[in-house]
Amino acid sequence: MTRLYLRWSALAVVAVVIAFLASRYFDRHLASFTPEDVVSRQPVAAVRVIGSVKAGTLTGDAAAGHARFDLAGAQDTLPVQYDGPPPDNLRELKTLVVIGRWDPASAVFLAHDIALVTNYGFVVGAYLVGFIPLAFFLFGMERRVTLLYREIKESRLYEPEKSDDVDPR
Amino acid sequence: MPFFRVIRWVAWKDLVSEIRSRETISSMFFFALIVILVFSFSFSMDQEAARELIAGIIWVAFAFTGIIGLGKSFAAELQNDCLEHLQISPAPKGAVYLGKLAANLLFMLVVEVILFPMFVIFFNLDVVEELPLLLLIFALATLGLSTVGTLFSAMTVHIRAREVMLPILLLPLAVPVMIAAVEATRGALNGLPLSLYGNWLQLLAVFDVVFTVLSFWAFEWIIDS
Amino acid sequence: MISAMIKWMQRYEGWVGGGAAACLIVGLYLGLVASPPDYYQGEVVRIMYVHVPLAQTAMLAYSVLFGGSLWYLWKRDPVVDNMCHAAAGLSAFFTAGALITGSIWAKPTWNTWWTWDARLVSFAVMFLILAGYLMLRTFVDDPEREARYAAVLAIIGFADLPIVHFSVEWWRTLHQPLSISMRGVSMSGEILRPLIIMGIGFSAIFAYMLMVRTQMLYLRRLLIAKKGRLLSQAHLSTAGSGSPSGT
Repeated sequence: MTRLYLRWSALAVVAVVIAFLASRYFDRHLASFTPEDVVSRQPVAAVRVIGSVKAGTLTGDAAAGHARFDLAGAQDTLPVQYDGPPPDNLRELKTLVVIGRWDPASAVFLAHDIALVTNYGFVVGAYLVGFIPLAFFLFGMERRVTLLYREIKESRLYEPEKSDDVDPR
Repeated sequence: MPFFRVIRWVAWKDLVSEIRSRETISSMFFFALIVILVFSFSFSMDQEAARELIAGIIWVAFAFTGIIGLGKSFAAELQNDCLEHLQISPAPKGAVYLGKLAANLLFMLVVEVILFPMFVIFFNLDVVEELPLLLLIFALATLGLSTVGTLFSAMTVHIRAREVMLPILLLPLAVPVMIAAVEATRGALNGLPLSLYGNWLQLLAVFDVVFTVLSFWAFEWIIDS
Repeated sequence: MISAMIKWMQRYEGWVGGGAAACLIVGLYLGLVASPPDYYQGEVVRIMYVHVPLAQTAMLAYSVLFGGSLWYLWKRDPVVDNMCHAAAGLSAFFTAGALITGSIWAKPTWNTWWTWDARLVSFAVMFLILAGYLMLRTFVDDPEREARYAAVLAIIGFADLPIVHFSVEWWRTLHQPLSISMRGVSMSGEILRPLIIMGIGFSAIFAYMLMVRTQMLYLRRLLIAKKGRLLSQAHLSTAGSGSPSGT
């Protein structure tokens, strides 16, 4: 019985560690700011910002890889200067993620990459749905089997039954 | 015992007991009427919508009515130990199955033939040209439901919750029959050329052949005790 | 005298379980970290690495159920019957998982939680057939009859599944001209490798779960039989001392 619990606690610990590492990786590399965050917090490092391209603000030569537009969030708008490979997703009113650096001197966001909005929630949800019920199911079965083996050993199933014990008379 | 004679005897026995008591066909018939009524209340249909939905409504009604008849088929054998007598008789069990199948098929077809004019009247359908084709569709699809249904009726007769297990087991397996029947009926009622929905009839035929053979084989395993 | 098959399972289940865990870990790393996102679907394509193996394993479990049912009808081995029961429960589990992950995949790609896609509907029908099988097993009282009926039901259900799939596919092409195959994912080596490894991993974990579950059902039956014998013995001994023979 203890071997069973040891095995599964080890697995649970590994899973928690992986979840922790994954969430740290997510915060560092994959999480996105909103334009309001950038304007208010003025981050120094390279960040990802999510927003929609404001209508009528897209200028520049997108085919050559230079574009200028305003990225609109819920309240604020972020001016973005994009210099990088020609983007195929850059359109007005489209929700995008721009990756780059905030330049406090010119109050413009210098972006070097544009990407589509990523739905991480669905991926995480699907994997949790796939694995967590599996783990519970398997743990329950193994525990049941261990208990049954123990019960069989205790009830001494394979010894000959004592049937002539009780004398009806 | 001669094979075909057993089939005739079993079918004849069911037919005679039905003629005398008339309980199966009458309960099937009134149940179907209630289903039709409930459907006509549930959907407020104009002519356009009626044409789209009517094939589905017809086959839902026929399927659930058929399940009632199929359930009674072996439940009636429980009285007077008839089921045990069937099991120990030297008659080939496949013949017993075919006899039961014939009787169930006949009852379901009778109910359908009585009900269909009522559908035509209540929902104002125009069917005169396609009548033989519609009868063919009815026959093929009813055979499909009856083959597996008779087998499952024999299976569920010993079980607790008998009346609910038969539809639970039968309907998922009968999905191809239902889809094909509804599509073919809709095609026929809308006057489409046969080439457009002929493949559904082929599907029904294939289903019938495959599952008659399978159920014929499987019945031995079910009825042995 | 414990069955030879059960003894074999006890010996090898550790290896199968360990191998399955290793495969899954490698597959998860390759699928989630090392493989690139899809051009059209982005990161969401990673759901494929869990949905497709679940579906494949569900089909594998169903085939094991079919083979086991044939084996039972041929040899009448009660352990094989336990294995069929286990396989059916596992197949239902994996089918439900495939349906739910398929639905989660459908939302970001097609913006709908459910779509009457031929494969999803076939899986839904398969789930219902398995649910009926498990209910049948619960409701039959006599164990020998239960095994026989369940085996017949499994064989008929397995024969029906291709017909169900064809009919639903025809029905879908009739009402929706678009054909949805593999959701337009371009298959490159980098995408194929984690897919195959996850497929092997899930099949191995299914094999492990089958071994464990078969033992569980077998032991449960054994204990019930033992308790039945003890009860009947106790009844006999008290009945003998109570009334004289005859009345």
